[in-house]
Formats: sequence, C-alpha cells, structure tokens
Amino acid sequence: MNFPSKLIEDAVNEFTKLPGIGKKTALRLVLHLLKEETKTVEMFGETVIRMRQDIQFCQKCHNVSDHPVCSICLDLSRDASILCVVENMRDVIAIENTHQYKGLYHVLGGVISPIDGIGPDNLHVDSLVDRVKKDEVKEIIMALNPTMEGDTTIFYISKRLRDQSVRITSIARGIAFGGELEYVDELTLARSIATRLPYENYLMNH
Amino acid sequence: MQTVYLKELHIANFKNYVQSKITFGEKLNLTVGHNGAGKTNLLDAIYYLCFCKSYFSSNELQNIRHEQNYFRLDGIFEMLQTKQTENIVAKIATHRKKSIIRNDIPYKRLSEHIGLLPLVFVAPDDMQLIKGSSEGRRKLIDGTLSQLDQSYLDALISYNKVIQQRNSLLKQFHERRTFNATLLETYNQQLVPLGTQIHENRIAQTALLLPLLQEYYERISSGKERVNCRYKSVLKQQSFADLLQSNLYQDRSAQRTTEGIHRDDWVFEINGYPLKKYGSQGQQKSFLIALKLAIYQLIRQHKNILPILLLDDIFDKLDELRTTQLIETVMGEHFGQIFISDTQLERMRQIFDNFEVNPKIFKIEDGVVEWLNG
Repeated sequence: MNFPSKLIEDAVNEFTKLPGIGKKTALRLVLHLLKEETKTVEMFGETVIRMRQDIQFCQKCHNVSDHPVCSICLDLSRDASILCVVENMRDVIAIENTHQYKGLYHVLGGVISPIDGIGPDNLHVDSLVDRVKKDEVKEIIMALNPTMEGDTTIFYISKRLRDQSVRITSIARGIAFGGELEYVDELTLARSIATRLPYENYLMNH
Repeated sequence: MQTVYLKELHIANFKNYVQSKITFGEKLNLTVGHNGAGKTNLLDAIYYLCFCKSYFSSNELQNIRHEQNYFRLDGIFEMLQTKQTENIVAKIATHRKKSIIRNDIPYKRLSEHIGLLPLVFVAPDDMQLIKGSSEGRRKLIDGTLSQLDQSYLDALISYNKVIQQRNSLLKQFHERRTFNATLLETYNQQLVPLGTQIHENRIAQTALLLPLLQEYYERISSGKERVNCRYKSVLKQQSFADLLQSNLYQDRSAQRTTEGIHRDDWVFEINGYPLKKYGSQGQQKSFLIALKLAIYQLIRQHKNILPILLLDDIFDKLDELRTTQLIETVMGEHFGQIFISDTQLERMRQIFDNFEVNPKIFKIEDGVVEWLNG
C-alpha cells in the first residue's frame, strides 16, 4: 500500500502490530482518527500511554491493579479464606462477571509447559504457597484450562501444598448449558458420567 | 454383521490423478496397470478417506498433483445391509487448513473420524514392518488398536504429549543445571496411568491377534511352518512407576525418557527363530499378509463390521500355491469389499477364472481409470 503521507504510513504500521488488525482495518482506524477533533485524539493517546505506564500488578494476587494491592484483595466483604487459582486476568474478568464467586484470586501468569520454556519459576507459584501458609487459606479452587498443561500445573501445585491443611478443589468439567448431549464430544460425555452429581445437588445449582 | 464398502469415488488432483469418478463393485475390484500408472495412488486415496492421511507420505503437499494447489477426494461409503451411506470429503489446499467433512459437517478433531470406516491396507512397502525398526511395528499395532477403541487413541495422544513435555523438562534441567523433583514427579504421575492402560490393552489385543495370525499363516503356507508373535515390553518386568523411579539418573543424563511403552516392540518368529533373519522373502511376505488378515479379523470381531481390504501388488514373490490359498481365503465369507492391484491383466484373469466371482476390472494408465468389463 502506498500512502501520500509518511505520518499516516507510520500510524498504519503501528496499528497493524495489534492482534487481529490487518492493513485495511488499520487504515480505516487511522482515517477515523483524522476526522476526529485533535483534542479527542490526544485524549485517546494519553489514555493508552497512562494505561501502560501506571498499571501495576497486585502484590498479593498478581492481578492488574491501579494500586499496589488490587480492589478485590482490599474488599473486606470478600471471603479471604478461599482462593481461586487462574491463568491470567482474563479468567478473573470471566469469573467476576458471573457474580457467583466471593473469594479472592491468585493469577499464575500462565501454565507449566517446558516445551514453551515455562517452568514453575516463571509463574507465581511460590507466592501462592506463601499465601496459603500465611493467610490461613482454607480452600483453593483450581480454575485452569482442561489441557494437559493445565492438569500438570494443578498436580504440581497440589504437590507443593501437600503438607498444608488446605482443601484443594477444581472447577467442574462437563456439558455446557443449553448444549445437546448428542453433540457433546465423547471424552467430555464420558467424564460427565464418571463425575455425575446427586440429583439434590443438581437442583440446588439451578 | 455389517459390511462397509466404497461405492463411489471422485478424485481430483490427488497425486497423478487429474479428475476421475469411479463406481466400484461391492465385493471384488481389480486394478491393473504398469508401474507408475497410479494403481497404488488409487488405493491410497481410499485409505486417505478412512484415516485422514496418506499411507505413504506425511507431507500433504506431496499428495497434490504437480503444479496444482489443492486436491479433493470425495467418497460415498455404504453399509451393504442397511443401505446407510456416509459421504466423506477430504479437501487439502496449500496455505489452508486441512479439512475432512462427514455428511457435510467438517470434523473439529480428525481423530474422531478414525475407526468409523475400518480398512486394512497391505502394501509392498510393509516389508519394512518385518525388516525395519520397532517404530513401524508400534505404528501398526497402535493404528489397529486405535480403530478398535477411541479411548486407546486418546490415551496414546495424551501419553505422547506428556512424554514431550517431560523430555523438554529433562533437557532444561541439563541446560540450566537445575533440578525440580516435584515437577518431574508430576509428569511421572500423569504417565503411569496412561502407560499402564496402553500396556494392558496391548497385552490383551496381542493375545487375541496371535491365534488369528497362526491360523492365516497356516492356510497361506498350507501348514508348512509355525509362526509366533511376541509382545516385548519393559513393563512386563516391573511397574511403570518403579521403572520411572529407577531410571531417574539415566533419564537425566540422556535428557529424555529412556524407557516406557514408547519403546515397546513385537518380535516375529518362524519355527522358533527370528523371521527377520531366518525367513525367506516368500515366508516374510506370507507372514506379513497373514498378520494383516489377522488384524482385519480382529477389527471385524470388535466392531461387528467387515472392513475394506486393500491388497497392493501382493502376488509378487508368492508362489502359485500360496497365491491360490490367499485368494481362496479372502474370497470367503469372513471378508468384505476387496481391492487388488497387479501389473498383469492375464495373470489376474487366470487366478480368478478358478473362482465363481465376477470381479470388476479397472485398467489404470497415467492416472486415468477405465472400466474394462462393463
């Protein structure tokens, strides 16, 4: 693509670096910004810069935060004796949106995968073990993806916590709401049958 | 008992084929052509639709006709008894994701397709199974057991993933001069149940396979020799958990998982001696065919379905008596649709003149298929 202005070309190239943005979309976004008031665009740029510069990671749960300790960890109405262990902040957002969980979180920052060069030392595993020891945590809920790497991470953390009196649970895996049995893959279906629930529990969850 | 057969095949740009639409017979199909005409490629196309891959080359680009950028296979399979049909389409194009479509619905995981349409292929290249390394034999047995049982395939895929991660970890320990016993133990714990499941399955199925193999070998060779097939596994001596424990030092210095079911082997014997060293070419070929027919019957018994049988260039190296015995066997009621390829039309005609069958004969030349006795 040829551009009449070097400035526009540079801007387009920057936008192309974003995930899911191709050259054409990038140009559309740049042209849109050109139509806007200078003030509006300045605000847009400053917001992005401030976001990147001022963002912090919570010292306790490693979730993104505006302060040294995040608003979830500071919320006294939440149950500090339960920790939900997740891979990244996107999972925190997903679980928060359910409004069902009132405990705290622990963001690992990934899962163990030696092939990708990620070991326990690259994740916030040690700080999780410390938290369980210091903060009188009664239960940790493993909310990791149902992959081999997710399982490995769960196994590893459980081993590290072997000597603690903490209860370790994992989120249920099975058939999605509104799904139809005949379209569920066999692995999921077999597992759902193996880990079936008593009817009373089933009713309670509705 | 059900019989699955390929009714119609539409090939486009697969290997040396331009465009061909062929209607097959439900029992016996003979394909005749010179070397390089495309006989094996036709059988490979059938294999592809059942296993989502070529029997010969794992590089998809090599399966596309020269100077083209895609190939497409479209097959209509039918259950002989119920008339139920399965339409399977394979579309492979450069720079695009491979897609296998069953009755207009693309598969999300190709492994779900394996086993739906059972098939056994006997190819000349298979002699490597006897002469070559253990890898080929493991592939054959794994391929067979995966057709019988989806959970075997799932266990195998998971096992291999864990092994890969474990080996990477061992390599990192070495490079970074670190060691994390707990993390290694985590991988061991995941390997043990998977490996044990695979091992037990292999023991059980080898035990079922052996009498079938001996029966078919006896028939083809007219009872001249006695053959055997022994499953060799390190897990026969000790449990997998103990093995991984005692191999710790060895694994760390080799930077990989040195022993496990991924190193298992099957030993073929004739009259008590290794077939690899003491069998003649004809005996080895007879063994190979008997083994494949035994696998065929194993699948038939498990799935209650007669698979498709592909016999590529099998008459080579077999004497007249063995050839007749073989044909008599596969024409029996325990076999379904059969494809046989050969270079000589006359030889084929002579062999089949002795049987009361009406084979459909196809002549293949430069990737063009012509029906001879239509």
